[in-house]
Amino acid sequence: MTTITEPDTHHDALASVRRSRDRRPSRWLFTLLIGAIAIAINIPLLNAILVSMKPDGEIARNPIGLPQNATLDHYANVLYASGYDFPKFFVNSAAIAIGTVILVLVIAVPATYAIVRLGFGGRWIIDSASGLRLLPAIFFVVPFFILFSNLGLQDSIPGLILANTFLNLPLAIILLAAGLRDIPTEVEEAGSVDGAGIFRTLYSIVLPMLASTVVAVAVLVFIFSWNDYLFALVLSSSNATPVTLGASNFVTSTGIRWGDISAASFLSTLPPLLFAVFAQRYLVSGLSAGAVKG
Amino acid sequence: MLSKKIGAIGALLVSATMLAGCAGGGSNGDDGDGTGTVKMVAWPGPEGDAMKKVVDAYNAGQGKEDDITVDLVLLSRQDTFSKETALMSSKSSEVDIYWTASYNVGQFSPSLEPLDDIDTSNYFPVATEGLTYNDKLYALPLDVSNHFLLYRQDLIDGLLNDPAAVEEYKAISADVLGEEREPADPQEWDLDDFKAMSAYFSTSTNPDSPTQYGTILQAKNLLYNTMIWNDVLWGYGGNWAEDGTATLDSEEGKKAVQLYADIYTNKWTSPDSAQAEFPETQAALQSGNVAFAMQWSAAFAALNDPEQSPDVAGKIAIAPVPGGQTHVHALSVSLNKYSKNKAAAKTLLSYLATTDAMTAYAEAGGIPAMPDVLSANESLNPAFGKVSESISDYGYSEPVFPKTFQAYSAIAEALSGAWVGQTPVDEAVKNANESLQELLD
Amino acid sequence: MAQTLAHRKKNAAALLLSVPLVVFALVFVAYPLASGIATAFTSKSLLDPTEAFNGVDNFVSIFAKPAFLNAAGFTALFAAVVVACEMVLGFGLALLFDRKFPGKKLFFTLTLLPIMIAPALLGIMFRLLLNEDIGAIPALLQSVGLSVSLFSPSSVIPLLVVLDILQWTPFTFLIIYAGLQSFPRELLEASSVDGAHFFRQLWHIVLPVLKPVLFAAFFLRAIDAIRTFDVIYVLTAGGPGTTTTTLSIYIYKVAFEQGDFGKAAAASLVVLICLLPFVPFIVKRIASTGMEGK
Repeated sequence: MTTITEPDTHHDALASVRRSRDRRPSRWLFTLLIGAIAIAINIPLLNAILVSMKPDGEIARNPIGLPQNATLDHYANVLYASGYDFPKFFVNSAAIAIGTVILVLVIAVPATYAIVRLGFGGRWIIDSASGLRLLPAIFFVVPFFILFSNLGLQDSIPGLILANTFLNLPLAIILLAAGLRDIPTEVEEAGSVDGAGIFRTLYSIVLPMLASTVVAVAVLVFIFSWNDYLFALVLSSSNATPVTLGASNFVTSTGIRWGDISAASFLSTLPPLLFAVFAQRYLVSGLSAGAVKG
Repeated sequence: MLSKKIGAIGALLVSATMLAGCAGGGSNGDDGDGTGTVKMVAWPGPEGDAMKKVVDAYNAGQGKEDDITVDLVLLSRQDTFSKETALMSSKSSEVDIYWTASYNVGQFSPSLEPLDDIDTSNYFPVATEGLTYNDKLYALPLDVSNHFLLYRQDLIDGLLNDPAAVEEYKAISADVLGEEREPADPQEWDLDDFKAMSAYFSTSTNPDSPTQYGTILQAKNLLYNTMIWNDVLWGYGGNWAEDGTATLDSEEGKKAVQLYADIYTNKWTSPDSAQAEFPETQAALQSGNVAFAMQWSAAFAALNDPEQSPDVAGKIAIAPVPGGQTHVHALSVSLNKYSKNKAAAKTLLSYLATTDAMTAYAEAGGIPAMPDVLSANESLNPAFGKVSESISDYGYSEPVFPKTFQAYSAIAEALSGAWVGQTPVDEAVKNANESLQELLD
Repeated sequence: MAQTLAHRKKNAAALLLSVPLVVFALVFVAYPLASGIATAFTSKSLLDPTEAFNGVDNFVSIFAKPAFLNAAGFTALFAAVVVACEMVLGFGLALLFDRKFPGKKLFFTLTLLPIMIAPALLGIMFRLLLNEDIGAIPALLQSVGLSVSLFSPSSVIPLLVVLDILQWTPFTFLIIYAGLQSFPRELLEASSVDGAHFFRQLWHIVLPVLKPVLFAAFFLRAIDAIRTFDVIYVLTAGGPGTTTTTLSIYIYKVAFEQGDFGKAAAASLVVLICLLPFVPFIVKRIASTGMEGK
């Protein structure tokens, strides 16, 4: 497990193949290549950051360059000056996203293990879960509204957590099922010969091996529930409004407030970014691989 | 094994459907005791901002006497009606006062409570008429929206005062229209002038043009863009329908589509205008890349604000839409039929219908549909005069029927391909006419 | 006897592990699903709130006009192209990242950034970035002498494809990369001794082992691509005409512009019914449930 923080070259699946060719200077070539790709796909965000610092009059005048009269007005508008309670929107979004991640994992991890390894219900459960994701969100949004109105969950954080759990469970089950299939059953059988119960096998043998998948699921579920729009639009009105809805208030009846919405878009990527940074040490280091190798 | 599963799922669905039957509002709302919280929706922009100030003032003053607190929720411009549609379809009582407009009040009317006992004598009669459906008033008007021709005074002056340019314009107009024309003041333009001027101010036809494109057409497949195209249709003397029969395939209808297609395919508007709407039109005018455009009344202020539009502020002038016809609609507020607090909501609506409330609304940046308030406050906003004038002299309204809202959308869908020369005009007009006829029936 | 006891224990554990999923499904899946299905057979709309049963009228009206089939055709083509590109690029990117190089952690996070912007906001960012008058990309192209009309009818579809790839390749990348991390390295190390060629290894060892993960990434991405909505809706609203109308845009307009919830639910169901037969076929390749052969 020492490999968590400092992976050795064996760690990278295919790196060993190329090890003989892998000389240090050439690694910088990968840095350059990947850096170029990473910057290219982030042009929309980089542009948003630039626009968010330009005064209104400069946005049309100076589309490419750095801000000539940099301003933080748009950030002030987002955070307090515009009359919208963005700090609250951020707290709402964070609570919804974190709550959804926890609930999805609590439901999906044991259930997927039971389905895939213990033969609970059979594959049709996964088939049906996948089928649910095939339906457009619009199909569910009005029934959810009626259900939540009756249960008193309308315009509440728990309500949106439940709705996002609904949206993301299929994704979690599919990914976890795929991840479980990667783990050789011999490992678990060895564990059960040792006398470990099913729960202990799951907790102390399977979960560590499944960790990178679990983390990937957590990251994706966090992102997807952070970014949810349609359900939030219908299922929240004031108490549980998330950032995505709040930001779209800058699309006004007299045009789009480009600077403000750029600032809001940029700020709204920061929490998922932080979550990914926190999670990526498990992803990048490949915790599961470390466990396999002992 | 399989049949057992299917049986189990079936049983689950049946029981859930029964649950569904029991759930879902169903009640017809409640008058309430006339006090408490009234929840109201608005969209962001000058109208929502003004309403917020009016509501804040009400909560601090009159509301205390009435024992009513108003909770104003802002939804984004594009989502307000989607959200309301979802609420209405589930007979929700969540919101007491809906944000509506004359173009969708017919569609929303089954979920709205008529407001016949409220005094509406202070409004423009045309504004309340547009919100009346089957002889019942379903909404109180707030702002009135219409279109203007926004143009670059400096560029037009440059043309009118330069004999060489006038000659060039004459040659181009002969080419474009088949008859030579003198350049005219935009206040006097008809749709032929609009076409020839678009050509003159485009580098594709006139390499010396000061702007790359003469105009920008709002040609995106969007129901609001149908409203602008309607100005051309009405300007040519056309209409959507006569006596319940759709007439989009008339000569006027074809001419109106053809004008868009000619301007687009000759590059007198940018190829990108195939996806243009309000913000793109603002960007084109702000950047100085076009000489004029048909645009919404609300756009003018930002274009003449040196902070927002440093390149063109002070150079933009305003004229009636070429052809002399402008679509007019009113934004409005309506009472939810399923509200649980109708009496209190009506108290608030009656307050909003007073000149006091609408004066406060005008002071906060709105353009209320009350002639007396507008004329008393012309010092606040010089556009107030223009609004009154355009409503009385140039305004027309599209036919009002339950599916008006759908009709705007269906027409944009059928015609937007032809606006940009992608679909033949005759075919597009025929499709649009069929769609409209279905909605009229 | 001992075996049945173990078997029973296993079943009890499976049941216990599945309790959260079952409870959630009973409360939050059954009702919305049933309610949605029921709506498809009613006249429920804004103009007719009676919700009267109208048999298959909604289904007939969907097929009465070419709009639905046109949308289905565009959606299928769009989804096929973007998913194919995103799988290849995501896999390539995962292989590129599967080694040590300076700045790996930074670029890993940066590469995931595009999926952290809410699609609804990203659409608006694209609208600014690509605007010919005030956008950075046209200004940049113009500064090197290129004049391209990105939104003209002939270039708008390729543009939408490129934007989707920019946005969603990070998604396939993340899933495939996480899969690579749980890859049994012994396989590679054994074969690398033979000096087996890189691509042969890729084909014969990596791809077969990664198959479940690749299918999972493909499947999830395909489902979401078929439901594509936000960016296209913001940029083109489905036009010019109906040339870029996806199924989700079609259904959204039926529900929210026409206010016809019965027809929208029916259209959703038609999509589901057409796609459902493919689901078991793909899920089989993602998840072995221990039920195979039974």
